[in-house]
Amino acid sequence: MFCDEALDTVEAIAAGEVVPDGRVASHLATCPNCALALERARQLETSLQRREAPAAPAQFTSRTLAKIRRARWRSDQFLDLGFNLAIFAVVASVLGGVWMLLHRTGLASVSSDAVNVFGSGFVSLARRVAPSLPLYAGALALLVSALGIWWWAERDAAL
Amino acid sequence: MEDVHERELVERCRSGDEHGFQELVDRYKDLVFALIARTVMDRSHAEDLAQDVFLRIHRGLPYFRGEARLSTWIYRIVANVCLQEHGRPPATVSFDDERTRARATPSGPDRQFRDLELRDRLEKAIARLPANYRLLIAAHYLNGVQYEGLAEALDLPLGTVKTQLYRAKQQLRRMLETDLK
Repeated sequence: MFCDEALDTVEAIAAGEVVPDGRVASHLATCPNCALALERARQLETSLQRREAPAAPAQFTSRTLAKIRRARWRSDQFLDLGFNLAIFAVVASVLGGVWMLLHRTGLASVSSDAVNVFGSGFVSLARRVAPSLPLYAGALALLVSALGIWWWAERDAAL
Repeated sequence: MEDVHERELVERCRSGDEHGFQELVDRYKDLVFALIARTVMDRSHAEDLAQDVFLRIHRGLPYFRGEARLSTWIYRIVANVCLQEHGRPPATVSFDDERTRARATPSGPDRQFRDLELRDRLEKAIARLPANYRLLIAAHYLNGVQYEGLAEALDLPLGTVKTQLYRAKQQLRRMLETDLK
């Protein structure tokens, strides 16, 4: 029965955190099983103290920082998407509201006349612009390429 | 002096200074990696988990109020990551591999080999401990992390930490004794 009591303290004794009192000390001196347990607890303590502490691999810092940048970029993209969706929803509801207002108040017929007037104006403008269309298309292509390169460069930097 | 430097470092990281965060990673990477590698017993997975710890630190720094020491807060994050990891299937540890079988060979291993063998048995015994015991053993025997620091990091009373650590070592001793029989 006393062995159980002594065995419960061997780890603390081996760690040097408890000094065995007279009763435990005399038991440890006379009981071979408990003395062996204390000896093994001391060996275990030494082995644990000598246990290797593995160092972080080389490039750990750069890989960790890259992972953090990727995570931040993903979260920014998610935020951007949410913002764009919110803008789209606001614009759609404003347009829907205007459309309903026009129909409810009978302004739709007036606005269709206005559309016809603007439409004929647009056709004549298109006729005048048509000869320069390739030039505009080229300029637009250049602008789109520049925006594409900027987006790609920013994405690459974020990664 | 150390605390002042630590506070400055935290402030730099909070203000988005990437060099500051790099300094923080460089300062704590060995500690974090060693704690995780010793607890999860799978070094290939330890790097991923250690990176996750720093990702959580990066996300959490704006909310770090500085009531505890930075290292204590980091221990707490490591403990959470390691204990969450415990919910997943553990790394397979074979008790019947070549090195274990070699113990039975009568060729008379030299002292160095016996040391390696002992270390191997110790690592395998530690791998069989519950995750919270593994973490306690890893942290306590790493750079002499004090009981008080462990108790604060794990949010446990000091007495519980000591008792759990003694129980962990008792289990380890018994496993190693059984292994010898």
